[in-house]
Amino acid sequence: MLKITKAGNHGILLPQLGIGLDYSGSKAKHVFVSHGHADHIPWKSRGKVYATPPTSAFMKLRGVKYEVQELPFGKTLETEHARVTFYPAGHILGSAMTFLESDFGNLLYTGDYRTPPSPATEGFELPDKPIDTFITEATFSLPVYKWRPYEELEAEITGFAKEALENDHTPVFLAYNLGKAQEIMFLLKDLGHPIQIHGAGYKLCEVYEEHGFSLGNYEAYNRDSCEGKILINPSSAINNGFASNVKKKRIAYCSGWAAMESRRSQLTVDKLIPISDHLDFFELIDLCERLQPKKVYVTHTPNPKVVQHYLDKRGIVSKTFNMKRDEEE
Amino acid sequence: MSKPKKHTFLQLSEVTQTISETRGSNAKISICAEYFSSITNENDLHLAAQFLGEGAFSDISGKRASVGSRTYSTLAADICEVDYEQVFKPSKTAVGSASETIEKLFANIPEAQDKWKSAELSLQDVEGIYNRLYEVSSRKDKQEILTEAWSQLTPLEVKYFLRIMGRGSLRIGFETKSIISAIAKAFGQKVKDVRYVHMITGSIGKTAKLAEQDRLDEASFKLFHPLSFMLASPIESRAVDDYSEYVAEEKFDGMRCQLHISGNKVKIFSRDLNDITHSFPEIVDYFTERELPEMVLDGEICVFKDDTILPFQLLQKRMGLKKPSKKVLREYPTLLISYDILFYDGHPIFEQTLTQRRRLLSELSSTYSFPVTTQKPIHHKDQIDELFELALAHGNEGLMLKHKDSTYEYGQRRKSWLKVKKPGGSLDTIMMYAHAGSGKRGGTYSDFTLGISVRDDERYEEEFIPIGKAYGGYTDEELKKLNTRIKEITVEKYGPTLGLLPEIVIELEFDDIQVNKRTKANFTLRFPRFKAIRWDLSPDDVDTLKDVEHLYREKADKKRLSQKNQPAFING
Repeated sequence: MLKITKAGNHGILLPQLGIGLDYSGSKAKHVFVSHGHADHIPWKSRGKVYATPPTSAFMKLRGVKYEVQELPFGKTLETEHARVTFYPAGHILGSAMTFLESDFGNLLYTGDYRTPPSPATEGFELPDKPIDTFITEATFSLPVYKWRPYEELEAEITGFAKEALENDHTPVFLAYNLGKAQEIMFLLKDLGHPIQIHGAGYKLCEVYEEHGFSLGNYEAYNRDSCEGKILINPSSAINNGFASNVKKKRIAYCSGWAAMESRRSQLTVDKLIPISDHLDFFELIDLCERLQPKKVYVTHTPNPKVVQHYLDKRGIVSKTFNMKRDEEE
Repeated sequence: MSKPKKHTFLQLSEVTQTISETRGSNAKISICAEYFSSITNENDLHLAAQFLGEGAFSDISGKRASVGSRTYSTLAADICEVDYEQVFKPSKTAVGSASETIEKLFANIPEAQDKWKSAELSLQDVEGIYNRLYEVSSRKDKQEILTEAWSQLTPLEVKYFLRIMGRGSLRIGFETKSIISAIAKAFGQKVKDVRYVHMITGSIGKTAKLAEQDRLDEASFKLFHPLSFMLASPIESRAVDDYSEYVAEEKFDGMRCQLHISGNKVKIFSRDLNDITHSFPEIVDYFTERELPEMVLDGEICVFKDDTILPFQLLQKRMGLKKPSKKVLREYPTLLISYDILFYDGHPIFEQTLTQRRRLLSELSSTYSFPVTTQKPIHHKDQIDELFELALAHGNEGLMLKHKDSTYEYGQRRKSWLKVKKPGGSLDTIMMYAHAGSGKRGGTYSDFTLGISVRDDERYEEEFIPIGKAYGGYTDEELKKLNTRIKEITVEKYGPTLGLLPEIVIELEFDDIQVNKRTKANFTLRFPRFKAIRWDLSPDDVDTLKDVEHLYREKADKKRLSQKNQPAFING
């Protein structure tokens, strides 16, 4: 049986294989990084670290100092104990699910993922081999989360920008700096209207362009010239004076959490657009049912018990990692 | 385009949702006004305004649908074919609202999707459903009615059906004040006139109807129909420029009420406009014996024994009793102490100034011998501390400052009435949950659920249980520091709420401790707020439930200064 250790808040260690997944510790010879979000990047590493080329680029832009080996999607790496292949995860550019084949069976670690995928990613693809162990994130792990059809959300985003501009208002999208921001730019680029993006997100856009995702007519946010442009910035910036000189603006909050009405009063925004980087609850349960793994590990979730309850009812064996302590299997 | 004859509940729900999604109160008012003016028949207008402003029933009807959240939540779980404990409850925790949870589950879960189909029920159909709920009493009967009703409503309608039924806020950022403005705007009336009519009719539906028919001036105050109450604002939030414009009276540790009397007939109404006459027969006798002329008094009911006003906790033993026993009447005798008069000699007088109303009240009190509060002029700000200490010595909560020129208007009226209160005590508590703030505090965690220790308490399995939620009392800098620490000790995330490891100790200040059987601790704190963040203390230092129980008893048993000397009220 494959031994799986939860290491710290995010990383996972497979001690028999000497492999770490989004892992910062010292016990892995090979570490595979799922994507470029800060909570998944190992900040130090004593082993060899592998990532897809876009993820590697994001890691460097975000200040990773150690060397990162690029492993493109679909290319298999042979380690001492396993064969490892990245599959596109549909979450952000470069996001990968890690597929491991070994004497202990096949394992798929999703990292963060989204299916159907974000159009500003390489898509979503599953290995066509049976999966014994499925380690899945479950950020939106309750049946209150079900995403609306993508065409609707897309129309809402473009419609919001157009309507604001027509009414002489500056449209502001509150969106996470890496992934969501670029997805919105990708959807808006056909409007041809100039876009300004928060400085931290701006430098990450370059990686999208290099990988063939044109994000339109954009520049870095500049307080003095932002009025009348489409503005994109993380929700935290709006409380720190972002575009506070622009009187007439309309603000949309773009996140899976926007599905909850409580967000409206918490953020004081004009519109909530529930567009998520993650799959919804029903997509998650359906996927588990389709894959029929021998065992599912539920991670990165506030409500593992609800997912497990649904999997139990479908006869799928599951386990959850405690968020705080290491747990051996 | 012809207007629809039947106004549907779906339309009302959609308008309500649009109001919720619109920012700015003027924009919200315009949407609501447009909706009101589109309604073509008066009964529907009455219902639409009532549903948005008051709930399933008019406040003065005294009717309630009386459906508990567990009754409809377990039913919703059954309809969705999900486990109530395992699925519904965590969903509700994440969403923060049972009605929104039900809306989402009905929309999302395939098993539930098959069970509803919009029948475009009219407003009157829905009124009929509320009436049927009022008429039955068992959970089973109520659930049967709900099942049938929900099968004909969309998930959006179900959400608002529940919020209207609950009589609470619709949570759309649109309170009574805005609805009054919307009625005025829809029918070209003055806001002041609409508000006046609402106050005397006690019915927002009726007010809308009269406004639409341009008959606001026909509304007249009727004895034995309660008036909405005027409320005080905390003094902290209002800087007072000139204290000499105010008079002070002690704020009694009692229950606010309104007494209507005409001949032998007396009715007493509580602050939420319920008729509570039956609970206080001795007060009814007291006033009928005095053969008073027709009038409406505003005042406070207190337990009064041996010249002393006894704690509110004892008054609780009298509240809600249909027919108090002789023993209860003997042990907890009550007295109504008046401080305002709203109707006299066949006319409402709430447009007169406080000084004018007070002069009349004093005359009547001495002629007919019934108790009124002692009002004291304020010459200087320093006097407030002195009066405040005396009020506390009497066992009262603090002081009320009332502007001498103020008229009587319902709700909080800026600086007209101010209350001065002293903290009831403080407790060292543990921070259990952090909640994302709203408005200008958006983006940070600024609301906190605080707990007390039950580690060594055999009645509980957990280490800490919640005792209250605090929203303020910290500086911006402290909040920043807290947020940094919170990030490190977060173990769970439920949407906008973080579950925390027990690390941060907060010294919590509050106004009072009350028994509340519906909470885990059986107690709630009134107005809890931060006194200090105790970085120096550890979870072992947190006060226990036993400490809370002790504090409660201590407050209840506290010796009180008799009303014989420097009384807070005079008996005619």
